[in-house]
Amino acid sequence: MDNLARAYLPRIAGLALASVSFLAVTAAEAKEITIWCWDPNFNVAIMKEAGARYTKTHPDVTFNVVDFAKSDVEQKLQTGLASGTADALPDIVLIEDYGAQKYLQSFPGAFAPLSGTVDYSGFAPYKVEVMTIDGQVYGMPFDSGVTGLYYRKDYLEQAGFKPEDMQNLTWDRFIEIGQQVEEKTGKKMMGLDPNDAGLVRIIMQSAGQWYFDKDGKTNVTGNPALKAALDTVGKIMSANIYKPAAGWSDWVGTFTSGDVAAVVTGVWITGTVKAQPDQAGKWGVAPIPKLSIDGATHASNLGGSSWYVLESSAEKAEAIDFLNEIYGKDIDFYQTILLERGAVGSLLAARGGAAYEQADPFFGGEKVWQNFSDWLAKVPSVNYGIFTNEADTAVTAQLPALTQGTPVDDVLKAIDAEVSAQIQ
Amino acid sequence: MVHARRGSIGRYYDINGWLFVAPVLGLIGLFMIYPIVWSLWMSFQSGRGMMMKFAGFANIVRLWNDPVFIKALTNTMTYFVVQVPIMIVLALILASMLNNPRIIGRGLFRTAIFLPCVTSLVAYSVLFKGMFAPDGVVNSTLAAIGVISSPIPWLTHPFWAKVLVIIAITWRWTGYNMIFYLAALQNIDRSIYEVARIDGVPAWARFIHITIPLLKPVILFTTVISTIGTLQLFDEVYNLTEGRGGPSNATLTLSLYIYNLTFRFMPNFGYAATVSYVIVVLVALLAFLQFFAARERDK
Repeated sequence: MDNLARAYLPRIAGLALASVSFLAVTAAEAKEITIWCWDPNFNVAIMKEAGARYTKTHPDVTFNVVDFAKSDVEQKLQTGLASGTADALPDIVLIEDYGAQKYLQSFPGAFAPLSGTVDYSGFAPYKVEVMTIDGQVYGMPFDSGVTGLYYRKDYLEQAGFKPEDMQNLTWDRFIEIGQQVEEKTGKKMMGLDPNDAGLVRIIMQSAGQWYFDKDGKTNVTGNPALKAALDTVGKIMSANIYKPAAGWSDWVGTFTSGDVAAVVTGVWITGTVKAQPDQAGKWGVAPIPKLSIDGATHASNLGGSSWYVLESSAEKAEAIDFLNEIYGKDIDFYQTILLERGAVGSLLAARGGAAYEQADPFFGGEKVWQNFSDWLAKVPSVNYGIFTNEADTAVTAQLPALTQGTPVDDVLKAIDAEVSAQIQ
Repeated sequence: MVHARRGSIGRYYDINGWLFVAPVLGLIGLFMIYPIVWSLWMSFQSGRGMMMKFAGFANIVRLWNDPVFIKALTNTMTYFVVQVPIMIVLALILASMLNNPRIIGRGLFRTAIFLPCVTSLVAYSVLFKGMFAPDGVVNSTLAAIGVISSPIPWLTHPFWAKVLVIIAITWRWTGYNMIFYLAALQNIDRSIYEVARIDGVPAWARFIHITIPLLKPVILFTTVISTIGTLQLFDEVYNLTEGRGGPSNATLTLSLYIYNLTFRFMPNFGYAATVSYVIVVLVALLAFLQFFAARERDK
């Protein structure tokens, strides 16, 4: 046994050495780009499609798309950046527009500037603005979160409403319809997570306001849009036309299970809506309801995010080239992800394509993409600032007070006090 | 001569001794003392992410004006004041019941009550979330036996959310404390109880006048441990409320607030360090109070 080992050992060692050097050679040639993002039906699937396209022309580059929950991506990224060790970080990361300035300002030098490489004039200006600091632009603009009112035609028909009745609604009318839908069908109008201020943000931005003004100062107590938004959410809650949800997956479950008649959210939800083949043909899309205050529109935005390359990445050059090749230039790619995933990209050149003209059988043959594209042009632009997370937390903390009948002005004051203490 | 030799031997042993403890001291210094001192230094700084500046006592001033911090502190103290006594008393009662040799299958009961403590924090929180959902097993059971007419909003009402967190941590940690009491009960001489029984002392009086005084050191120990655990409460709240401490910050704890300040909000490591020192001061104060309350008075 001993002899045997002695006889074979050199050979084994030699073999091991040879394979190690072989591995080293392949590692030098094949580059793997690691990407963090969320939503398997949307960002993850789209990034895999983009990776497959790039690998076709660059066979030496492969992609590892890692799927986390959004909050996990954000928290892992923040931890990695704060620790100062780059080993744990990916090469490309997806960041929601609300948080972009926070990362860029808190961790200077952590992200690679792409100003020299990418032609930003071809993108929607508001997307470029959120990733600019001191004249340098840091990311690859990706999807838009233009909002729509998705509704179940079958439920609304049972309640006596035609698709025409769903156009140009006001929020008050929306609530009335909701009450009738519940009366006639027993279904709630919408799912609502009382710990998620998304709906407040949608309504607020539809009237051209945000938690912060153009200079980044807190804009809460004197903000008519926020006041009206809180009022509306309060009315929805007291009219009890919503199914309460605890958390994101629960909220998604309210409409994938067919328990609610409508969804008000960003266009990126389309992939999830369409992931239920048994509901094909039952959905319609209308513009979101409007507030009855000055500056109110039927268009708003929720979320939307962009890709960022880490400065410390070993594959930085390849990562930047990949983003520029696919997301910066590939019009055909944008057509594909629009039709397959409902991704409304922010590359303006991709807006004219044939895909936007197509009718979607899932939505009963409506030209939904053309609609979303039209609404996108009308989204009021606002300054997200760097403290949206803090303001959001303050709003959700006060939502229950609203339902208990506290006057909206007092609620605004409480939100203002909490935000002011948070943003130092 | 003899004197001098002894001195050199003494020094020889001294050096050897120091050499033996040096690696440990080095590791403690590197992984304990250094982070503690560094976090104290950090608590005097403020800024966004890596852009930190010395701020003196600004963070401490900010504590006073921060309604979210006050809310988190109040919640944490509520958990502590309500939950620790309930759990300690429950663990004591369970321990003395399961110490009774006449109970059949007490090993099984002991294991069953201790078992929650070895389950994964995340797994049980997720399970609780499902069980206490509006249409979950708890609400449907309560409705079936006629206790409630409409489901209790466990996760969406500020009061019930607090109750749920207290139920969760009591469920998990009572067995852990019970094991300490069971071990200590084994050390109480059975003859003391026999004498008391012969003298006609009823069971409840034996519990109050014999068991509790003899368990006092262990009760003190478990109280201090539970206090520290409750003040650092994080996992349950994080998992039950998706890291938000909702509804309406009603379940937000200090640890969760530190986490949010560091990882969810605009990162302010300095202020987060200040809040964590609040926990340190609180734990120290409460432990001191508990030792003071449990001191030997008759000495």
